[in-house]
Amino acid sequence: MSDSAKGMDGEQVLGKAYDARLMARLWPFVRPHWRMILLALVLIPISIGFEVAQPYILKQAIDHHIAIRSLEGLGLLAGLYVGCVLLQALASYGQLFALQLLGQRSMHELRLATFRHVITRRAAFYDKMPVGRLLTRMTNDVENINEMFASGVVTLVADFAKLLAIVGMMLYLDVHLTLITFLTLPLLVLVVVWARGIMRTSFREIRVKLAAMNTFLQEHLSGIKVVQLFGKERRAARDYDRINVAHRDAYLGAIRADSGMYALVEAIGVGSVAGIVWYSGTQIGDSAMTVGLIVAFVEYVNKFFIPVRDFSAKYTVMQSAMASAERIVALLDTEEHDAPARLEAPAAAPSAQPSPAQAIGEAAIEFDQVVFGYREGDEVLRGISFRVPRGRAVAVVGATGSGKSTLIRLLTRLYEPQGGRVLAFGRDVRDQPVAQLRQRVAVVTQDVFLFTGTVADNVRLGRLDATDEEVAAALARVGADLMLARRGVDQDAQVSERGANFSAGERQLVAFARALVRDPEVLILDEATAHVDPESERLIERGLEALTAGRTNLIIAHRLSTIRRADHIVVLQRGRIAEQGSRSELLARNGLYARLERTFQRAEDAESSAAGSA
Amino acid sequence: MIGAPGGPQLGPWGFLFRYRGRFLVGTLMLVATNAFALAIPWLLGRTIDALRGPDPAGQVPMLALAMVVMAVFQAVTRIVSRVQLFNAARMAEADVRSILFGHLLTLEPAYFRTHPAGDVMSRLTNDVQTVRAMWGPGMLNLVNTAFIFTFALVLMLGMDPWLTLWALLPYPSMVFLGGVFGRRIYRTSRAVQEELGSLSSAVQEDLTGVQVIKTYGLEEERQGRFRVRSSSLLERNMALTQVRGQLLPVLGAVASLGTVIVLFVGGRRVIEGSMGLGELIQFNAYLAILVWPTLALGWMMSLLQRGQASWRRLAEILEAQPNIVDGPLVVDGDKLRGDVSIRNLTIEIGGRTLVDGISLDVPAGTVTAIVGRLGSGKSLLIEAIPRLLEVPRDTILLDGIDITQMRLLDLRRAIGYAPQEAFLFSSTIAENIAMGLPEQGQNGQSRDRWSGDSGSSGPTGVSDEVRRAAEAAGLERDLAALPDGFHTVVGERGITLSGGQRQRVALARALVARPRLLILDDSLSSVDAETEKEILGRLDDVMRGRTAILISHRVAAVRRAHQIAVLDQGRLVERGSHDELLALGGVYAELYRTQLAEEMAA
Repeated sequence: MSDSAKGMDGEQVLGKAYDARLMARLWPFVRPHWRMILLALVLIPISIGFEVAQPYILKQAIDHHIAIRSLEGLGLLAGLYVGCVLLQALASYGQLFALQLLGQRSMHELRLATFRHVITRRAAFYDKMPVGRLLTRMTNDVENINEMFASGVVTLVADFAKLLAIVGMMLYLDVHLTLITFLTLPLLVLVVVWARGIMRTSFREIRVKLAAMNTFLQEHLSGIKVVQLFGKERRAARDYDRINVAHRDAYLGAIRADSGMYALVEAIGVGSVAGIVWYSGTQIGDSAMTVGLIVAFVEYVNKFFIPVRDFSAKYTVMQSAMASAERIVALLDTEEHDAPARLEAPAAAPSAQPSPAQAIGEAAIEFDQVVFGYREGDEVLRGISFRVPRGRAVAVVGATGSGKSTLIRLLTRLYEPQGGRVLAFGRDVRDQPVAQLRQRVAVVTQDVFLFTGTVADNVRLGRLDATDEEVAAALARVGADLMLARRGVDQDAQVSERGANFSAGERQLVAFARALVRDPEVLILDEATAHVDPESERLIERGLEALTAGRTNLIIAHRLSTIRRADHIVVLQRGRIAEQGSRSELLARNGLYARLERTFQRAEDAESSAAGSA
Repeated sequence: MIGAPGGPQLGPWGFLFRYRGRFLVGTLMLVATNAFALAIPWLLGRTIDALRGPDPAGQVPMLALAMVVMAVFQAVTRIVSRVQLFNAARMAEADVRSILFGHLLTLEPAYFRTHPAGDVMSRLTNDVQTVRAMWGPGMLNLVNTAFIFTFALVLMLGMDPWLTLWALLPYPSMVFLGGVFGRRIYRTSRAVQEELGSLSSAVQEDLTGVQVIKTYGLEEERQGRFRVRSSSLLERNMALTQVRGQLLPVLGAVASLGTVIVLFVGGRRVIEGSMGLGELIQFNAYLAILVWPTLALGWMMSLLQRGQASWRRLAEILEAQPNIVDGPLVVDGDKLRGDVSIRNLTIEIGGRTLVDGISLDVPAGTVTAIVGRLGSGKSLLIEAIPRLLEVPRDTILLDGIDITQMRLLDLRRAIGYAPQEAFLFSSTIAENIAMGLPEQGQNGQSRDRWSGDSGSSGPTGVSDEVRRAAEAAGLERDLAALPDGFHTVVGERGITLSGGQRQRVALARALVARPRLLILDDSLSSVDAETEKEILGRLDDVMRGRTAILISHRVAAVRRAHQIAVLDQGRLVERGSHDELLALGGVYAELYRTQLAEEMAA
């Protein structure tokens, strides 16, 4: 875990520009599109060929026509030159397009794989992983790797091939002149190596400083209210200045290296031209040393130095892509897979079918000595045992933090107990395919989460193949149609992000319809504590009745009316069951629950006497 | 040094003006670089002439030497010009960032309701970068293109005006194509950005609602949706790629036509004898120098356009005026009694009346609880006290002084506020708590408000005040369980605290300066009922003789308050003690009933 955690955190990742291990990890996403690589590899020599031919045509034109004053055939050469230029343009466009298509398609696959990986982790994974970080992996990091395809590996290969072709052509034209031209090569290598060293360190520094700056900014913008409340504006501004200047200075180093490399590579190019000029002066009388040859060599030198000059930009792209790849691979390496949706052993399948023989009164759900904590040594549930018989309603009562909501998460196997067993439909939930388990229950949480889309879309999440009529019927049965009518909209009304345009009570009703359309065997409800307006309250009360009727219900209850309707009441206290039984049993016991009801009663009496006296 | 005056009125070039020295040097050096660059073709032309002339052996080595000298000069001036120009841009960029951030700190929470943090963040990162690109590479290329064109044109026209006209024939179409491509790239890349934005929102939503997705078994359905979005992003990206991919080959091909024309037309001249071969080579080399600046012209235009657009978005921030500003009165926050009086306060936001004519007195030294349903206006009411939102004059008085007349710092120093969402910074627990203390030197001496001694710190470098505030907030057991105790780093890169723990750190932060007025906005909602009771007991001690206003959903927390104010739809509907309100049988009694289950089982 600690290794992968380092990778996930991320920004400190070193500045390597090529890492074979990471490339091997990315290969499976690229492999399906190998035809594109092939196409690019075919087009590369073609475009190089047409490019390298151009100075040669120039040489021929000068030596065989212009220098000897023969006009005949010059037009043909000019036409040939134009042809080379156009074909080179076409081939290099094709090459670029193939590479981009390769990159985009591979990154599409990588994005899908990352999303699939993330969405299939178990619930505990998300507790440790901020949403923002996961989002960055799927967007920025994938984009960074994509850049590598546009101006990365294959382009570097193409550049290298071009350099070889240029040198080859020069050697073919004149070996000695070529050697003279590349006398500057050691200097060039020196400059590139020097610049690469500086860029590697400054790249790393820039990334670290940038991450620090963005983290600071993000945090202080979200927490600006706190900064202002405690009058810390000046300190925040000071701290930001410091981080900002550090970030700026990290760039100043990089600018020096980059400018130095750019300018020196240019100058070395001119040095090579000077070499050509000087050598030509020593070869007077040699018929091979023609003006055309000099011109062609100057052209070749120019073409040779362009990719070298652009090397630093490509190098940065590669570094950035590798750092991103490192982080994505670390994410893809996290384990914690959710419980399997389907059982792998087919033998187990038949018994997984719901047995129709189960009679009312048999346990649909059972908690057996369940022990659980989200963090080690911090137990939320400490040995919970109770049963929810088929067709009956069980209410769980307890204060915030007594572990009520955790029961739901264990039952739906979002988390797994550290001790004891949770049984559903007569079998340990761990022995059931999780998809099937979750298919048979419907959960309505306290804080309802609605997705963007329409109201109908949200209801349909309960059962994806529900027809419009079924959706409408579900909404009507829980009374949500009245709610929508009150707003003057219908089930096609848009829901904004997180359902922000609906009130808590309205969201609750939509969630009821979502659960109802699923028609589950077991309904699990975490009753909302939020106080809503009385009108919504009545609608919710009605919806609740429609939803719970004729099903096995496990309800985390906050309202006395709900508790009273239950067949069995479980009172939780600090992770243990304080008492349980039917309402009459608990009243007879005269314990915690009895006291609870009495206080309720007093409040109600006070209310009715106040109403009476008014 | 950083954060010098600057604002929207200066415009984007105003920030660069501070670095005019560097900018001037950079520009001059750039001109020199170009002059040296243009000397090379001349030397080359002379070489060709010399080779065909009477004394090649004598002239050519000198010409080669001259080239080497030019190369050295050029390298030096090029390095200086790039470093100066780019550094100036980076420095101006840092200035803009600091000024923007400094300005944002003066804007009230209302601004951030309409400008979400993500949006502001993207302006401070992406837009600032775009403006910098306009200053750095944008300016460099502008100057470069202008000079190269002028110099090269003059030289070429001097050599052969007609050949120049012929050779430049394809150039207008290059400029035109550059513009066309610039616009197409801008359009398609904006489409990509939009799609990327909606993909991000969708992912964010799915990850936030992941428990629903899991319990309803929607993993595959959501993956299907994601695939659709990702494919659509792929398509838009490819559209962008197509435009981008066409740009260089097309422009490059057009540029090469110039070379062909020189070869053909100029070649005829040489053959006819009206031009020397050396001159032709020289002329062709000038033309080659013109190619890149011309290609860059379109790119530069789009840099300038985008830079201007981004600057608009930055200026929008700088133009936003803070509505909540210091009043004229200087008050010693430590000497206030903490007597709060709210007089007929009405708060309207977006045309809706959220607080409606509320009058409420909170005498110094008493505890007032505010209860009400969601959206009843209770949070707004208490946020108005430290002026987190704008209130009309004379509607809230602290010790009889209108809070809008006080300096913000004085007002806020008198108040310890624990907001609903316990926001902690990613530093140590001790540092988070100490944030509640006034800054050193802000008010002369620093006095320990808990013991009355001058500030002392314990063996672990944690001051006594912080330690005691943490104790009062019921943190000592949690601190003992954490690896580094007070020095445990929370958040992003540190330990994730539970909701209840975060709330208690935020409470300690509000308590540490022992404020005259403590405001708790439902700030113990995630703490379990039993611990809450314990903390409230300790608070009684710590806050003895001080004023407290608290919002809570828990009856246990409010029942002992001196007075309970019940808000409903922005109005104050009930006010009195717990027993009085129960007897009244109104909203409070109803809230109480639904709460009982909670309280009893605790």
